[in-house]
Amino acid sequence: MNWTHVKLIFHREVRDQLRDRRTMFTICILPLLLYPLMGMVMMQVAQFRREPHVNIGVVGYENWPNDYPLITEHPNDKIKWHRIQSDNAFLRAYVTGQVQGSNSNIESPTEAVQQSGTPAIAEELLRKLNADAVVWVPTRFKDSIAKESLVVLSNQRWERSHMASEFFNERIRDWHANWLRVHLQQTDLGASIVDPPQVRNIDASTSIMKRAIVWSKILPFVMLVWALTGAFYPAIDLCAGEKERGTLETLLCSPARRREIVWGKLLTIMCFSIGTALLNLASMHTTASVVMSRFASLGAVDMVSEMGPLPLQSMGWLILLVIPISAMFSALALAVACLAQSTKEGQYYLMPLLLVGMPLVMLPMIPGVTLSAGTSVVPVTGAILISRALMDGEYSLALLHLPTVAIVTVTCYLLSVRWAVRQFESESVMFSDGERTSMTQWIRNVWRKREDTPLVNESILCALLILVCLFFGRLAFSGMPLSWAGIVQSTIVIQVGMILAPALIMSTILTRSTRKALRLHNPGAMNLIASILLAISLHPTYTAFASLVGAEYKLGEETISLLTQFDAIIGAAPIWSVLLVLALVPAICEELVFRGFVFAGLQRNGGQIRAILLSSLFFGLSHGVLQQTITASTIGLLLGWIAYRSRGVGCTIAFHCVHNSISMLIVAHSSRGSSAPGWLTWAIANNNGQLCYSPSWQSISVGVSIVLMFWFAVRNSDKLVIGSMESPITKQSSLGFTRVPVSSK
Amino acid sequence: MDLVQVNNLCKRYPDSLVGEFVALDNVSFVARAGEVFGLLGPNGAGKTTALRILATILQPTTGSVRIMNFDVASQPDYVRHSIGFVSNNTAIYDRMSAWELVEYFGRLYALTDDQLYPRMERIFRKLQMDDFRECPGVKMSTGMKQKTSIARALIHDPPVLIFDEASLGLDVMVARALQTIVMDLRDEGKCIIYSTHIMREVERLCDRVAIMHKGKVIDSGTLESLAERHDQNDFEELFYQLLIQSDKDRSRESAVMIATEGIPTYCEQGRFI
Repeated sequence: MNWTHVKLIFHREVRDQLRDRRTMFTICILPLLLYPLMGMVMMQVAQFRREPHVNIGVVGYENWPNDYPLITEHPNDKIKWHRIQSDNAFLRAYVTGQVQGSNSNIESPTEAVQQSGTPAIAEELLRKLNADAVVWVPTRFKDSIAKESLVVLSNQRWERSHMASEFFNERIRDWHANWLRVHLQQTDLGASIVDPPQVRNIDASTSIMKRAIVWSKILPFVMLVWALTGAFYPAIDLCAGEKERGTLETLLCSPARRREIVWGKLLTIMCFSIGTALLNLASMHTTASVVMSRFASLGAVDMVSEMGPLPLQSMGWLILLVIPISAMFSALALAVACLAQSTKEGQYYLMPLLLVGMPLVMLPMIPGVTLSAGTSVVPVTGAILISRALMDGEYSLALLHLPTVAIVTVTCYLLSVRWAVRQFESESVMFSDGERTSMTQWIRNVWRKREDTPLVNESILCALLILVCLFFGRLAFSGMPLSWAGIVQSTIVIQVGMILAPALIMSTILTRSTRKALRLHNPGAMNLIASILLAISLHPTYTAFASLVGAEYKLGEETISLLTQFDAIIGAAPIWSVLLVLALVPAICEELVFRGFVFAGLQRNGGQIRAILLSSLFFGLSHGVLQQTITASTIGLLLGWIAYRSRGVGCTIAFHCVHNSISMLIVAHSSRGSSAPGWLTWAIANNNGQLCYSPSWQSISVGVSIVLMFWFAVRNSDKLVIGSMESPITKQSSLGFTRVPVSSK
Repeated sequence: MDLVQVNNLCKRYPDSLVGEFVALDNVSFVARAGEVFGLLGPNGAGKTTALRILATILQPTTGSVRIMNFDVASQPDYVRHSIGFVSNNTAIYDRMSAWELVEYFGRLYALTDDQLYPRMERIFRKLQMDDFRECPGVKMSTGMKQKTSIARALIHDPPVLIFDEASLGLDVMVARALQTIVMDLRDEGKCIIYSTHIMREVERLCDRVAIMHKGKVIDSGTLESLAERHDQNDFEELFYQLLIQSDKDRSRESAVMIATEGIPTYCEQGRFI
């Protein structure tokens, strides 16, 4: 790659963007103006903001104990009291006039008020009395405080009326505590008996640390939103915009190669993305400093202590976060923008990217989500969490997970760049006419141009269709079936109706050969035997891996309870039917789909790696639960490899079936409380009623698996022309996802 | 000397509506140094596709294209240094002046300051661009933009120049200036491939022509040889008759194929929707 070309293109694009007023306003001027303006508005509001006060009317205050008054005339009291005479015309009309058949006793209105009225009448009364709430003091309240009820009329729909009733309740509690204290002093018990024990709080953190923690929860999210925004406009302009204006073709016939053009444009987008985020950070920091110092001068010391300006050290960590994330989003934005032929089209295409990226950005904001081995492998989320850990001063934790986060982020970045380069090299992307659509003609053409195997987009469509079917199917079958018959029913419906049927229908309609579309190929006896042995030898490793995943991403109590019930049902069911329904049926259905139809389309045009990666991803997602998605996706990679090497699904069905069978046998035996057969005690032991693999067999099985895989690779190395495969096993529950019944020792 | 050699060039696009669209079907021609080779045809004939392949923007499906003996598919870097491409699709940047744009492309062609600036001065003077050298693209007239594009294509002094409907939308004065520039370049020994469907331009500029219709070259040669072969001195009339005749031939050919091999075979060849 010629970096001089990259540098020239980068310089030109940056200069071009800097000359564009719209871009400059959105990503440079707006951030600089936004926060100062917001700060100015906040300060204006703060200046005019007064402590709220409410008006409470009191009827019958003469009945209140004279020695312990409720009404005070303090000017700063947030309650403004109004004594209302019992002969008030409005009050009389309300109590006596509106309640048909009441005793109209205005002096003791409890019953009348409770019986009275519609909200409209009460609201009218409050308005006419100019009160947010009205309190009735009963006639005998002075003599019998504990027995008589104070009646408070309020309208909770009104903010001020709601506040008035809250303030009154608070005031009455204070009044009662004082009243109690005075009376207790007159007894042997003393007033201190009602006082709570004193608590002295000692906070180990400094105000700077507290500020860092507060900001660390907010700022990464804000930064990433701005990084995304900063990437979007240049990406659209530099790609879709240039296509629209015709300048891209000028560049394509220059000496700069496509890869160099991509890197030049990518660096520009990154530059603006990072710049936008940093400008926002700087503007926000400056504004926060000014506003907080102003608030401090107004006396809001506590708030300033907690929310004061971001410490400089934390800003440094934020900058480190912004760089890799901006880089990744920039590459993605560039690749997506390539698909568009115009600026308008580009905006449509980039919106889904924002929607996909947002959950990853918001995930760290969920309470309880912290940096761990599990969260560190999630793109974007891991980077945000590591930045937060650094801002919180948890350096050892951040250092522990830094390699994982770095590997994930760099991998995602490089994949995004590669995608962008491929988009630039694709004539159909760069020179498509985009807007032309005719559904009838398209369908006619799809039928006429059928081939033996599905197209890439047909495979992806099939997988997505299955995932949507499974989503709604699982909603329909919500809750674990409580009997074996229920498990059989739900498994058959899901496996056959929602997984296999779409692929079968699509292979019939969209391809000329269902056999080739589903990759039904005789794998040979030796390959089948090797697959079965590999399934047996890999099961301990899979089990250990699944246990690790389970430990990292813990299942909820409810799920564990459901799985325990499931195990009990399995233990009670006939073993042959368990193996048939939960091992064989899922193996056939899922392999025909994921290593068959989906794989066949994805591996077109030399896309073997794409086929292995995407088919395993779809296979994992079809399992619905995060823990099972991870384990199934991982073993899906191996199944993809086997299917590719053996050119069909025969071996993967065998592997999958054997794997599921072993899992189900272990579940069944464990739930029945029976031990492993005597001839298997060298491999399987009983650990507190759970069957598990012995350490010696776990170690040996790894070696055996490696040998088998090596043998399999060598044996099938001469067949790699069309590539297809079978899939291995994962334990399938009745809902069609993988489970791990065996705990590793 | 044949600087451009196109042999049995085919280009097929996947098309979501018709399955496959044949843009070029066994196109062959050569273009030599010191001549203007006209690539003529109506809209949709495949001229732009052919020239985009020559400019290494598109890849040929089958066949070969060699420029200065470099293959466009396997040696695109060398080819790009040997050509200058001006098309109505190769626009200029709105926020760059003419001077900046030409300088930018000169840098991409790895010209040193000593080579670049004297050459820029010479080209700007020759194309009478000095008046608007600092004018940003967005404020330029169509003629100014086209001159800037030509300056951009000439900056690395390529032996082969490709003009794809470069006179489209130009007024008479500017179009005539463009023709003068093309003739001057030919006199300097450049090989010029000039695509147009304006017959007056062809008569004025082209030494040899290839007439394309629906992806095929239906005839080629010097203007004189074509006139003699078809007994027609009015070149516009000759062009029109060739297109009509080509359509008739294709209809006859289609009917014969359907009668002998059936509709499916005909459709599979991407020749029928």
